Amino acid sequence: MDYKFPNDINYTSTHEWIKIENNLGTIGITDYAQHQLGDIVFIELPDVGMVFEKGSNAAEIESVKAVGDVLMPLSGEIIETNDNLTNNPELINKSPYKDGWIIKIKINHNDEIGDLLSLEQYKELIEQEDH
Amino acid sequence: MDFVPHDEISIKKMLKTIGVNKLDDLFQDIPKDLHLDKLNLPSSISEPDLLRKLEEIANKNKLYSSSFLGAGSYYHYIPSLVDFVISRSEFYTSYTPYQAEASQGYLQAIYEYQTIISRLTQMDIANASMYDGSTALAEAAIMATIISGKNTIILLEGIHPEYIEVVKTYCWGQNINFKIISEDMLENELNENIAALLFQSPNFFGDIEDIIKIAKIVKDKMPECLLIQVMTDPTCLGVLIPPGLTDIDIFVAEGQPFGINPSFGGPGLGIFTAKQKYLRKMPGRLVGKTKEINGDGIGFILTLQAREQHIRREKASSNICTNQALCSLSALVYLLSIGKTGLKEIALQNFQKAHYVKKKLSLIPGYKILNKKPTYNEFLLICPNIDDLIEKCKENNILPPLRVSKYYPNMKDVALVCVTEMNKRSSIDKFIQIAQSTSEQQMEGN
Repeated sequence: MDYKFPNDINYTSTHEWIKIENNLGTIGITDYAQHQLGDIVFIELPDVGMVFEKGSNAAEIESVKAVGDVLMPLSGEIIETNDNLTNNPELINKSPYKDGWIIKIKINHNDEIGDLLSLEQYKELIEQEDH
Repeated sequence: MDFVPHDEISIKKMLKTIGVNKLDDLFQDIPKDLHLDKLNLPSSISEPDLLRKLEEIANKNKLYSSSFLGAGSYYHYIPSLVDFVISRSEFYTSYTPYQAEASQGYLQAIYEYQTIISRLTQMDIANASMYDGSTALAEAAIMATIISGKNTIILLEGIHPEYIEVVKTYCWGQNINFKIISEDMLENELNENIAALLFQSPNFFGDIEDIIKIAKIVKDKMPECLLIQVMTDPTCLGVLIPPGLTDIDIFVAEGQPFGINPSFGGPGLGIFTAKQKYLRKMPGRLVGKTKEINGDGIGFILTLQAREQHIRREKASSNICTNQALCSLSALVYLLSIGKTGLKEIALQNFQKAHYVKKKLSLIPGYKILNKKPTYNEFLLICPNIDDLIEKCKENNILPPLRVSKYYPNMKDVALVCVTEMNKRSSIDKFIQIAQSTSEQQMEGN
C-alpha cells in the first residue's frame, strides 16, 4: 500500500501528525490512520481554550467500522478547531494533511518536541505494523 | 427416543479431529471437586403423569379476579392482536435477530418500535430498547456522567425503591457518587459537580411532579446538568405532557404496560429515549433505514454501531449489545392496535377510575389520602387497619394494594392503591365495601 507521508511534519506512534511553526502546532491523523479507519462519518472536536497533556485524548473520530482517538502529540492549549469537519468529516479521508487538519494548539513544553517521530522513524513503524 | 444429537461415533470423530482423547479431558481445567459425576434426578415418569404433576404445581398459583396492585407492574388490557403477532415463529423463535441479510422483518419491526416510541414521547431518538425500566434508568445515569465528564448524580425522592437499588449497583461499579434528596433541597444541592438529576413522574407514591418547575430550577442554576425522567406506567402519556416538549434530556420508562403481561414481575421492557445531540453517547442497539445500492428498495440495518461496546471497547457508554426484541414488538403491536385515541381513552379511564376510588375512600372514616400533588392511577392511602384490609381483599379474590412498609418501614399503615381500566365497577364497589367494613370494625373496637 502506498501512503503519503510529507517530510515537513512530525509524527507519533499513535498515527497523528503535527506541523510545528514557531510556538504553534497543527494536528491531524496520517494517511495510514485514515486508511485503517475507513470512511469517516463523525468527529467530536474539543472546545477552544481546553488544555491537554501530551498523550491525552483531544478528539474522537468515528468511521463506519471503528472509533479512534486523536491523542495530543504535545502538551498544549487548543487555539482553533477545524469546524469544516463537523459537516464534512470525510475531508480527513480525502485530504488528511491539508483540508482534513483537526486542531491547532499552542505548545506548552518545547522540550517534548524531541520525543516526536521523524518521517523515517514513522515509515519504519508503519512497515512493521503493516506486515 | 434419545434427543441427544451426538452418538458415540461422531463424538469420537470430533475428539480425534481436535486431538483430545476423551470427553472429560475437555473439562480438565475445571477443579476436580467441581465436577458433577451424576445428576441426582428422580426416575423418569410417563408424559401424562408429568403433565398431571405440572398441573398440580400450576394450581398452587392463586388467580385473582381483580387487582389493586401496581407499584411498577400493571394490569392493562392486552389486545388479542399482540399475542397473535408475537407468536409467529419468525418473531417468537428468532435469536439475536440483527443480521440484515436474514432479519429484515424483525429489523423493520424494531425500527417501527423506535419510531412509535419517539413520536409518543416526542423525544428526538429512541433506541431498540433495554432490559427494563430500572436498568434503563441506571444506563441513563451512566450516560449522563460520560456526556458531562462529572461523576455525581442526584436522585429526587419518589423514584421506585427497586430502581434506586439498581442505580446504586450500576453506580458502584462505575465509581459514580449519588445522593437522594427531597424537592426542597434541590436548589441547594445543585452545583458544578452534578452530572444529572434523576426523577420519577408519576412517582412511586403516585404523585405527578411539576416537570416544568423542576426543569426551571435545574436549568436556571446549572444549565449543563442533565435532566432524566423515568416513569413506570407510560400509559399516562395518553394525557400527560410528553417529555420531549419539556427540557428533559433523557427519558426512560418501563414498557411492560404496553401489551406485556405482569407475569411474576418480568420480563419488562426498557424504553430509552434522548435528545438528538446525545445520539453518540446513547447505549443500546439502534436500527436505521437505508437504501439499496442497486435499485430503489429500502432496507433496515443496525446503525451507529461504533458507539457500542464490541467496537468502542472500554470507552463505550454501556456493555449492552442487545435489546428486548420480543417485548418491544409487543409494545409496538399494542400501540398500533389501540392507536392515538385509544391510548388517550385508556389513560382517561385510568385517571377517572382511580380518582373515583380515591374520592370514595377519602369519605370513609379512618381513611386518608396522603398525596398532596395530582395523581394518575396510583395513590397513597392511610388505613385504619391495613392487615385486615389486605386479608379481606385476598378472601374476596382481590389482589390487594401494596403495603408501602415493605420499602418504607416507617410508613406502617400506608397502602399504595392502583386502579386501571381493568378494574370493573363491580370490583371497585367490592373493594370500597371491604375498606368500609375494616373501618367499621376498627371503630367498634375503639
